[in-house]
Amino acid sequence: MSDKVCAPDELRDEISPAPELKFPMEIGEMYEGQRIRRPEMYVEFGGVDVPKKFELVLVKEMEEVEDGKVEVLGPDLPELSVGGAYPLGILIQVAGKKLDKDIEGVLERRVHYFSNYIEGIMHVNQRTDVWVRIGRKAYDKGLNTLKWVGRALAMLFRRSLPIIEKIQVTFITDPTKLEEYYQKAVEVYKTRDARARGLMEEQVDEFYSCVLCQSFAPTHVCIITPNRMGGCGSISWFDARASSNVDPKGPNFPVKKGECLDPIKGVYTGVDDVVKERSLGAIQHISLHTIFGHPHTSCGCFESIAYFIPEVEGIGIVHRDFKGPTVNGLTFSTMAGHTSGGTQNEGFLGIAIEYMRSSKFLQADGGWSRIAWMPSQVKERVRDAIPPDMFDLIATENDAKTVGELKEFLKAKNHPVVQRWKEAPKEEAAPPKEEEPAAFGVPMIPEGLEIPAAAGGFKIILRNARIVADKVIIKRAEKE
Amino acid sequence: MAKKATLLSVYQLLPQTNCGKCNEITCMTFASKLLERRATIEECPPMTEAQYKSQAVKLRELVAPPIREIVLGSGERSVKIGGKEVVYRHELTLHNPTAIAIDVSDKMDDTTIVARCRFVECFQFTRIGQKLSLDAMAVRFASGNAERFAQAAALVAKSSSLPLILCSLDPEALRLAIEQKDVLNRRPLLYAATKDNWREVGQLAMQYNCPVAVFAPDDLKNMKSLVRTLRAMGLEDIVLDPGFFPEGGRMKDSIERLVMIRRAAVNRDDKDFAYPILVTPAVAWMGDNVDERAAAYKESYLASLVITRFADAMILHSTDTWAILPVITLRQGAYTDPRKPVAVEAGLREIGKPNEKAPVLLTTNFALTYYTVSNDIESQGVTCYLLVLNTEGLSVESSVAGGQFTAAGVKDLIGSSKVESKVAHRKLIIPGMAARLSGEIEDLAKWEVIVGPRDSSEIKEFLERRSEVVQT
Amino acid sequence: MAESDKVSEKKGESDLEGALARRLLKLAEKFGEIELDNVTMTVDELTFLLQPAITRLQRPITRGELVAAKPVEKLLEVEFAPPVETYPAQMAEVQLGATRNEGGTRGRAVKVGGAKALPFYGFEAVNPNRPAFAMDVFDMPIHLAKAVRQHFEDVMGDPAAWARKCAHEFGADIVSLNLVSTDPGIKNTSPEDAAKTVEAVLHAVDVPVVVGGSGNKQKDPLVLEKAAEVAHGEKCLLNSVSTDTDYKRVVNAALEHGHSVVAFTPMDINNQKKLNRLLLGEGLPKTQLVMDPTTGALGYGIEYSLSLLERIRLGALLGDTELQMPVLSAASNAWGAREAWMKTEEWGPKEFRGPLWETVTGLTMLMSGADLFMVSHPATVRVLKQITENLNGLGEAKYTVENWVAALG
Repeated sequence: MSDKVCAPDELRDEISPAPELKFPMEIGEMYEGQRIRRPEMYVEFGGVDVPKKFELVLVKEMEEVEDGKVEVLGPDLPELSVGGAYPLGILIQVAGKKLDKDIEGVLERRVHYFSNYIEGIMHVNQRTDVWVRIGRKAYDKGLNTLKWVGRALAMLFRRSLPIIEKIQVTFITDPTKLEEYYQKAVEVYKTRDARARGLMEEQVDEFYSCVLCQSFAPTHVCIITPNRMGGCGSISWFDARASSNVDPKGPNFPVKKGECLDPIKGVYTGVDDVVKERSLGAIQHISLHTIFGHPHTSCGCFESIAYFIPEVEGIGIVHRDFKGPTVNGLTFSTMAGHTSGGTQNEGFLGIAIEYMRSSKFLQADGGWSRIAWMPSQVKERVRDAIPPDMFDLIATENDAKTVGELKEFLKAKNHPVVQRWKEAPKEEAAPPKEEEPAAFGVPMIPEGLEIPAAAGGFKIILRNARIVADKVIIKRAEKE
Repeated sequence: MAKKATLLSVYQLLPQTNCGKCNEITCMTFASKLLERRATIEECPPMTEAQYKSQAVKLRELVAPPIREIVLGSGERSVKIGGKEVVYRHELTLHNPTAIAIDVSDKMDDTTIVARCRFVECFQFTRIGQKLSLDAMAVRFASGNAERFAQAAALVAKSSSLPLILCSLDPEALRLAIEQKDVLNRRPLLYAATKDNWREVGQLAMQYNCPVAVFAPDDLKNMKSLVRTLRAMGLEDIVLDPGFFPEGGRMKDSIERLVMIRRAAVNRDDKDFAYPILVTPAVAWMGDNVDERAAAYKESYLASLVITRFADAMILHSTDTWAILPVITLRQGAYTDPRKPVAVEAGLREIGKPNEKAPVLLTTNFALTYYTVSNDIESQGVTCYLLVLNTEGLSVESSVAGGQFTAAGVKDLIGSSKVESKVAHRKLIIPGMAARLSGEIEDLAKWEVIVGPRDSSEIKEFLERRSEVVQT
Repeated sequence: MAESDKVSEKKGESDLEGALARRLLKLAEKFGEIELDNVTMTVDELTFLLQPAITRLQRPITRGELVAAKPVEKLLEVEFAPPVETYPAQMAEVQLGATRNEGGTRGRAVKVGGAKALPFYGFEAVNPNRPAFAMDVFDMPIHLAKAVRQHFEDVMGDPAAWARKCAHEFGADIVSLNLVSTDPGIKNTSPEDAAKTVEAVLHAVDVPVVVGGSGNKQKDPLVLEKAAEVAHGEKCLLNSVSTDTDYKRVVNAALEHGHSVVAFTPMDINNQKKLNRLLLGEGLPKTQLVMDPTTGALGYGIEYSLSLLERIRLGALLGDTELQMPVLSAASNAWGAREAWMKTEEWGPKEFRGPLWETVTGLTMLMSGADLFMVSHPATVRVLKQITENLNGLGEAKYTVENWVAALG
């Protein structure tokens, strides 16, 4: 999910490993993008031809983990045939006073990055899709046991995350044992996901904040709850929690909820306090689950935008990759320009795509029943999150390209927003009222210089004419 | 503080009929253009109708920047001043770069006047792909002979197409000058109304529909009174000069006044100060036995000082390029939109005299990155080719994370730059922070990729240390 | 594409909206431009409708007597109070240099920081300390732009003499000693030998001293540590540490020997806050921390620094405790700009360009909130010091400007 994990500062240059350990291979960020191609590889683990493989990080009790232990259950590298594909389970068990089960997923994602820092290793994907290749050159140079990989991972984890006090790495290559562990891993993933999706704001005492984007938007303070992740899509409540524990002086820190003033809109006194403080007074008050009133601010790196379509009283969605104008005529980048910069822009909100899966997704505005239009690509991507009875009612670029077409579509499908059309006009607009005349005389010609040069234009009429031309050029008038 | 205009608040004041007469598909799109200052309210024909009159007034006020925007001059060389939305650049961006006027005195002879006009008109400097120029002519009444002043003004108007500033505290001289053919059509800025001549100069400005400057070097209370009075007379295009003291303790007053004016207008909604500010660094030339170079030097740094203190327009005297260069360079920088990264042109650069064996390095087109890298390798005496990748003006780190730095982009760059015809080898050294993409770039571009140092200051040392890898 | 067709008649009005026209317009849409050769049109009636786009008129409308100014008897009375902002916090103050009764040997100490308002917003609050100017000294002859070199040619081989010249002849408030020879790629001078240079400079001048490494991330902490030792009690400024150097070593040395530390980051406010946090977390007090968020030279990123410094000052005054340290500006970075040293006809004589480039760079940083400056050219020091005086209300003026229009001649 997150591609924005940065290596800890200690890894900036090549690492010199602990003095007791002399690794037979180099470890450093420069190897991150290294590819091992089929002809270059010694063996591979996982991949399309291998049905069962996994990687898992488990947080255990202190007594359960033997610090520094690295073992291989089953055949090790020298026993495998060159060029072959084999099953593999990577199990990393960690313990530490500050660790809890919620951080497992965060740690697990690091296996990918840390593995890639190892010269001669290529690591792709995660969980039950994991795919690892060991390079022939590296094997010949001395990377001839998975234990070296384990030791390197242990070192990298310990170095970058001091809250890990004990770490143990196990590689399972024996098919029978793998089956056993595999089933357990799948159960763990399921439980984790259920918890992640099921955890509600009401169930936790603290939210988390992220100020990573303040370089670009000084007044932007992101509030991350179990039901609202950061607009960038990179940081979930679990991620923020982990980061805040790992690096209390970093960009993520806890936010006490305080009193909940409005559970639907998502208004909390603790949140407002932090926002006020961290934006240095620029923003006083935010609501977490609405695009109206005092919406959450947006920085600039959000994945998509939720925008009000006044003509249909509905909300539209557009993501960064969508090229061209949306149904309201504006492109993503134009709307982004008005939404970003850490300001509160009623009617426009930068959101993560994952937020659309949240059970509190724009709940104050009606959630999915208010969504009138979204790009087909996103609709497919979050298909599982859209209530089945709403799915066909939401238009995409294939159903409506203009507001007029959208209105027709929504009417035909009897979309819930149609109910709002019958009500009093525009819930947010104030009725225009007569203004007192300006304090000083208004000059007779408004705006001085900006006057339509000729209203109406004029006609030239030719009768009984014969027009002969060597060339007639019809050209599209260029817009300025 | 005045209510801030947002897409929705602007939209709500439009007809909301999506009639399309503005050539936009929806009122929302038009609202967006209005907010971005790429359209005016007049371009929505229905808004000029009676039924939307009060809405139009409200909308005008909503989208108007806190500092009035005034157009100086006419035609192609007309220039906008003022129109600022914020006090500090980082709050949004600064609009309308400080207009720079060069002066002529009516004591100069005609040849000199014409020569100075030509200089200003033709002055052009290209920096980071932008053309920097000077903006206006200021004609000063120094001779004591009002007719001579009018003559000089007419000559300037004939000799250039630039906006004019007529500088005279004598209303009669101003009148004679405005009534010259060519001068009036240029809609000159009348400098200036003071506590002694406000009635005459104000009437002149109303009569000829010219913007008028207010010169009040004594204190801001007097300036405020003057402005309030002119507004009561019906004037709207007003420019403020609180007096510029180039030396001694009074400089404190000058600079503080600039701050107070701008802050009062933007943060306190003080309508009497909601106007562009004119500063006159040319006063650095005052005095007897002036050393020309010293005066130009001083004028240059004082002009630079006020660029960062809210000057919307300035009058300078020196025509020395070396003195003008820092001012226009600072102006260029200060007025870049902080929301948009500054980019240089993508493509292939030669550092030193590289031959077919020279190393090929890669960097991004973010101006800061590019200049840092190229300065570093130039000063280290490295000879190489430098491929500059278009990452939409983002740094290596940002663009790798954000997805603008792509293997496909590198492949295209190699192709379009034709670097393959310049070097015999196929080795590419990429920035350390792009290590993540090394394999992908190799696969797509079919070049061998070597991951270089993270900091360009280490390039020379890297090339020497890793010579066996880099050697071609 | 050549076509010749007849325009069809329709309802007595030549029909540009007829089939041909529709086809032509479609093609024009698709290709942007189409040309028809040898066209003959026979029409009964052909109507052209010209509707000009709304243009902005630049010509003024002469109103003459029609719109006279509204009558106003006399100047209107107004009230005006300076728009003063008050802030909940202020910047910390750092002292450089310790006098004899403070445990050092400096003739006088220099305090920087302590600002209570934005830079030179004197109507709001007067900052207790003036900005201070340090001149660069190097521990070996190095390549310098001619405009600078000409002043120091005679002292380049002797850092002590160089320092003396800066302090005594050119009025530097502080001397900034750069131990560039310690760079492994240059002379790889040992920390011990470099420390001897530090001692020599301390003996040569009685102004505070900044000690800088070579920029080599591995070596600098060792060099600064040794320098801190020999300069014990002198309240020097150790220049610098960043997130990827061994800052702990330098902080410990600073704490043990009573020095301040420069926290250097590359133009990123979050990075700067993080580094400050880390250093404060190691026990370094606010009063011993100076920030260097990087000064971009004029034309090479100065606007980033400008906005960064304004943000820092505003943030600090509004209560952000991670930004309340004084700011250092290496205005001498201006010499890296081509415009400062390159000989080019087009740009005019470089004798003026160079110092002016550094002066404008420094001045911009001065107006944005920098408290401490590193500069190379004597003229920069002179001008910036003078402006600081003037902006604080000091200094005589030889003439007044009320009559500038005519008086300029």
